Amino acid sequence: MLSYSLKRLTQLFVTVLGVVTLVFFTMRLIPGDPISAMAGDNLSGAALDQMRSQMGLNEPLLIQYLTYLGHLAVLDFGHTVTTKLPIVGLILGALPVTISIAVGTIFLTVLISIPLGTLAAYMAHKGNRMLDNTITGVAMVLDLMPPFWTSLVCLLIFSLTLGWFPASGAVSLEDSATLLRRIALPVLVLSMAQVATLARITRTSVLEVLNEDYVRTARSMGWSELRVLFRHALKNAALPVVTVIGLSFGNLLNGTVIVEFIFTLPGIGNLLVGGMNSRDYQMVQTLIVFYAMIFVGINFATDLIYRVFDPRVQF
Amino acid sequence: MAHISIPLPARRSIQFDFLGLNGALRLLSNRRVQLALMILVPILLLTLLRPFLPIPGPLETNLRAMTKPPSFVHLFGTDRMGRDLLSRTLAGVQISMFVGFAVALLSLTVGLVMGTLAGFFGGLIDRVMMTVTDIFLAFPSLLLAIGLVSVMGTGMLPVVLAISLSDVPRFIRLQRSLVLSLRSRAYIDAARTVKASQLWLMRKHIIPNTLAPLLVAASIAAANAILVEAGLSFLGLGIMPPAPSLGNLIRDGQTYLEQAWWISTLPGAVILLIAISLHFLSDGIRQALDPRSRK
Repeated sequence: MLSYSLKRLTQLFVTVLGVVTLVFFTMRLIPGDPISAMAGDNLSGAALDQMRSQMGLNEPLLIQYLTYLGHLAVLDFGHTVTTKLPIVGLILGALPVTISIAVGTIFLTVLISIPLGTLAAYMAHKGNRMLDNTITGVAMVLDLMPPFWTSLVCLLIFSLTLGWFPASGAVSLEDSATLLRRIALPVLVLSMAQVATLARITRTSVLEVLNEDYVRTARSMGWSELRVLFRHALKNAALPVVTVIGLSFGNLLNGTVIVEFIFTLPGIGNLLVGGMNSRDYQMVQTLIVFYAMIFVGINFATDLIYRVFDPRVQF
Repeated sequence: MAHISIPLPARRSIQFDFLGLNGALRLLSNRRVQLALMILVPILLLTLLRPFLPIPGPLETNLRAMTKPPSFVHLFGTDRMGRDLLSRTLAGVQISMFVGFAVALLSLTVGLVMGTLAGFFGGLIDRVMMTVTDIFLAFPSLLLAIGLVSVMGTGMLPVVLAISLSDVPRFIRLQRSLVLSLRSRAYIDAARTVKASQLWLMRKHIIPNTLAPLLVAASIAAANAILVEAGLSFLGLGIMPPAPSLGNLIRDGQTYLEQAWWISTLPGAVILLIAISLHFLSDGIRQALDPRSRK
């Protein structure tokens, strides 16, 4: 187990290093350099030169790259080009909003899709194709709805027509009631997209387990259907479900960028779009690396969980 | 298509029959393919025939018909500049379809070539390729596209390239695994014993047998590309206005959601219809080509 974790960790390190390298050199491919892109026509040659040397852009590329790696290693992400604020501070300030959305979404998704998927599997097992087909069909449509469109439709129905949730307004982490009301719709929208995948996987894995001998044995011992379903079938179908939650985390991150933009929530997705619009490449570069690290880290954790909890997986 | 899972001696007629008349008939008799075509064909026809339809052009403004709800004159209503939204939506579908098709074709081609090389030769090529795909797969797809667009700029070509770059690693992986499973089949050994060259093996025995699963993946990639392009344009990072990409239309309507619900919702519903039909299409292709699901 330990040696496996170490091997995976090395692999993880190589991937992260690759990500950082790729992002660094890709960003250097931008025509001109960050300074002239940012300054536009407002600054003269001498002022530009001064800023360049301040930011170390006159150094050879390799030195710049090594300096960048050195800074990353001590979690120094530099400053935003436009406002000169430390990027770490901005990210840390915005992160709780994004995390609340992500955690809320995973919670709601699990709450909806596991009973739904189990029900679909049970119905399929009993030969009731109609309900099974309906659930699977609805899940597919939900899966394909573009999140920005779903957001607008939900805004239209729940905020503008019914007035249940505020469409905009300040978000403060101390005021959890307001925060909850503000992130309720984004969480609902993202869950709709996630439910489909998770319900489908739950259905498949429960259906598979329901055909196993030990489930038949449990039935023949006279236990109630519910007990068989939850104690035996669902418990053993849990692993693929955990894996899929981890794997669909990338989709979830994509979604948070969109909903933060639409619902004007001050999370890291909004920082990214803001950075793009103000051509703040330092910010964009840092955030893309940051997102990739979260994603890779989650996948790593999922993989380890899978191996810890499945005794059949050999090392 | 028995050859996908059961190794048969390679004969051209068998390998390509899913592209020939027999295969086409079998595809067309699949319920899901029929359903997909029932949605896709009318949309495509309307899109292609748009210039000949009795509706205003997508960029034509009409100050006497600003933000009008859907009616018989303007089936999808008009936007704040009096532009006909049906016309704009159809023009947007044209852009979406182009992006979807271009991304699917590009990532399929690159994935096919690189995946075949990695799977067939293994060794160093394979290891390098896997490390590189690992790095690209470490980015959530929309975020990779955002990053790439920030480097390449906005517009049609950068958007197509940015979306393809996040799809290519997936196609390389798929093709590699298909090639690996085919490489050790008995009929490949048989071909080797009669001194078939590497190129011949790849061209005649391996690649044709991987095309079907690749096509299934390509139609999903097309649907996905349409959704990502719309997302990028919606964020203002994709295809720039006044070009009526579907994402732009939805973005336009966001500000007027309360006064004019139709501006955003109707184009979005069209995206959803296209995505659903492409998924039906891929499901249908898989069913029709999978010998185990034949009834």
